[in-house]
Amino acid sequence: MLAFLSCKKEKDKEPEPESDFDRKAMLENIGNMIIIPGYENLNNKVVQLDSAVVVFNASPDLSNLSALQNAFKGAYMAWQKVSVFEFGPAEQALLRTNTNTFPTDTAQIITNVNSGSYNLSLVSNIDAKGFPAIDYLLFGIGSDNVAILNKYVADAGAAERKTYLHDVVNEIKLNVNNVYNGWKASGGNYISTFVSAMGTDVGSSIGYLVNQLNYDFESLKNYKIGIPLGKKTLGTPLPEKTEAHYSGISVQLASAHLKAIEGIYLGRKYDETDGAGLDEYLVYLKSQYNSGLLSDAIKNQLSTAATKLDAVPDPLSETILNNAAVVDAAYMELQKQVVLFKTDMPSALGVLITYQDNDGD
Amino acid sequence: MEISKYLKISFLKEKLSEPVHIAPLVVFRIIFGAVMLGAVIRFLLKGWVYELYIKPEFYFSYYGFEWVKPMGAAGMYIVFALMALSFLLIIFGYYYRLAAVTAFLTFTYVELIDKSNYLNHYYFVSVVCFLLIFLPAHKYFSLDAVRKPAIGTTEVPRYTISAIKLQLAIVYIFAGIAKLNYDWLYRAMPLKIWLPANAHLPLIGGFLDYEWVAYFFSWFGAVYDLFIVFFLMNSRTRPVAYAFVILFHLMTKWLFPIGMFPYVMIFCTLIFFSEPFHKKVIEKLKGFNPGVLKLFAKVDQPAGHNLFLNKRKSHVVMWMLGIFFFLQILLPWRFLLYPGNLFWTEQGYRFSWRVMLMEKAGTAFFYVKDPKKGFEAEVMNDQFLTKNQEKMMATQPDMILQYAHLLKEKYEAQGIKNPQVRVESYVTLNGSGSRMFLDSSVDLTKERESLLPKAWILPFEEKKSK
Repeated sequence: MLAFLSCKKEKDKEPEPESDFDRKAMLENIGNMIIIPGYENLNNKVVQLDSAVVVFNASPDLSNLSALQNAFKGAYMAWQKVSVFEFGPAEQALLRTNTNTFPTDTAQIITNVNSGSYNLSLVSNIDAKGFPAIDYLLFGIGSDNVAILNKYVADAGAAERKTYLHDVVNEIKLNVNNVYNGWKASGGNYISTFVSAMGTDVGSSIGYLVNQLNYDFESLKNYKIGIPLGKKTLGTPLPEKTEAHYSGISVQLASAHLKAIEGIYLGRKYDETDGAGLDEYLVYLKSQYNSGLLSDAIKNQLSTAATKLDAVPDPLSETILNNAAVVDAAYMELQKQVVLFKTDMPSALGVLITYQDNDGD
Repeated sequence: MEISKYLKISFLKEKLSEPVHIAPLVVFRIIFGAVMLGAVIRFLLKGWVYELYIKPEFYFSYYGFEWVKPMGAAGMYIVFALMALSFLLIIFGYYYRLAAVTAFLTFTYVELIDKSNYLNHYYFVSVVCFLLIFLPAHKYFSLDAVRKPAIGTTEVPRYTISAIKLQLAIVYIFAGIAKLNYDWLYRAMPLKIWLPANAHLPLIGGFLDYEWVAYFFSWFGAVYDLFIVFFLMNSRTRPVAYAFVILFHLMTKWLFPIGMFPYVMIFCTLIFFSEPFHKKVIEKLKGFNPGVLKLFAKVDQPAGHNLFLNKRKSHVVMWMLGIFFFLQILLPWRFLLYPGNLFWTEQGYRFSWRVMLMEKAGTAFFYVKDPKKGFEAEVMNDQFLTKNQEKMMATQPDMILQYAHLLKEKYEAQGIKNPQVRVESYVTLNGSGSRMFLDSSVDLTKERESLLPKAWILPFEEKKSK
């Protein structure tokens, strides 16, 4: 028995940590180099979107419409980079719900436009605002840009529609600005809370990050791909449920979203250089997966999933119908990634995903 | 041989029936009541009554207790109010027996609603409440003794105090035995995962990143659990042992989110202290004497030794408790009847004082198939379960099976005849890395819950890392 033990111990012996992993430095990197620049970028893009609306509303023509549409796409792409961070200021502003609840309720939008009286902060308007509503208002109300433009020029409700469009954009602008300021050291300074809330319990920054990363990643898998593909409806596809259904940039957005999640995991700074992220933390903890390193397994799976997702052509709503297999392949890889994120990573980091007492069993 | 007399049941019976002072039992009553009252209030304040017993749409009942259901918002709050009131009454020993029965029934009822909320320390509380029903902890320094002086006494048979000590011994020793496994002792798992997660703590934080610290804590924990009771029983080692009790439990409190458990244990283990110590505590409480406690001063007079009037009843209780403990000692071994790795299968895992023993997490994808059309739908678990329920379910086969049957019902209600439900589940155990947990080809709607081994649990093969 003793011999067995000592031999076993010899074999299992692993080197002591040479230096402590600097968890604070990781949070500083994620906070200062990913989150804040992410919100700053979104804030800029939303301000540009707002200006484009002002210009378009003042002189609605094809070129201004097209500029506005581009500004919208830019802002929607910028949103994908910060979608994960629904804690602290964003949680207070319910930013994710307010900004990107889809599919949008076109009937509700039409009712609001026609009545001219609405309160966008009401729960009943949650799916009549945000980027999905703009997507509809800029791409979905006519068969082409000429027809769409017409809705803002000659249509009986043109003025109300312009106002509604501006109100929706304005709400996003205000919310994003609040959250951005909430994070900034010169504003609400949530960044200092973020880098100092150590540990892995529910109120810790790593706890928030890992939980929200999971939640958001599952949303990506389910709402952006799975549900439209018919994964939840016994194979009946629901192409109208895609994100950005009207502009048809669903895959582009989903890819950006996946890349953002990968960036958070890797600690990739806003300038695309590598910094301290969850991967370094897992390496430090020597977390194993399938007799290799868990950090590598996650990195590889993310890259496989990204490749498969990039192979899906936009518009997703059409690909789902005429080439479901390629979407399905991407979905399967995202599914595998869920297990690594939801099971292996929190377990290795000792992150709690519940708030309750626990005796570990 | 002299020793042979110790082995005789008659000797044991005599020894256990010896009159001893009631003080330790009384102090235990007050302390346990107070800690539990605090625990119930904490539970209410945290909003957990709503989160755990009102909000969920589905509850994971225990095998054989499927009839235990929550009672809706008003009902649940009434139950918790009754529970709090019972512990309050226990503190003061007012209508004590009724209070103990109510405390036991309300607490156990709540725990039986949903096994997602199973905690060993809740089991412990249920068991102690049950014991209290039969222990005459209200016959001294209580409002009952004021109300009915005839029941007052300063002496009780020894077994009434030994029972609590034995209960604590069972908790600690089984918790210790459970730690005698390869992962705990020779891989320092799961502490090797849990401790570095606390590396930010002041003072000790810097140490928690080191592997030897995880080994030290593992071995220390095992030795502590196995032997602390013996050191508490011995009057010479007791002070040091109790210092260790405080240190150990405060440490666990600091490192892990285990709620009230550390306090429960720190206070309950006071039972091991001597008679004079408990008498002193009561004197202190008398000196404290504000308001309602003044009443206690009146019950100072030693009343008749009425316990001896009721020797037969006393013996019946003794035998009953004997059976109760015998069952408790058997229960943790039932896992031996099941094949496979206990931590992996969790067959025979609960009700065995396996505390803080493993790091286990899982993800379960459920698929519902319409056998007629052949199409399969993936289930979004958060439509039916709370986050906590989903998490607990994903690693426990019996809960996975219950959930699969719920899905069958739900999809039948949607008009799909005889839906088939299968699960693709991945679990990681003590840093093993996630691997397939259950046979994903099995239609779980065809499986029934029972105490028999579940053949669809895949074996946990330890993959040796190079």
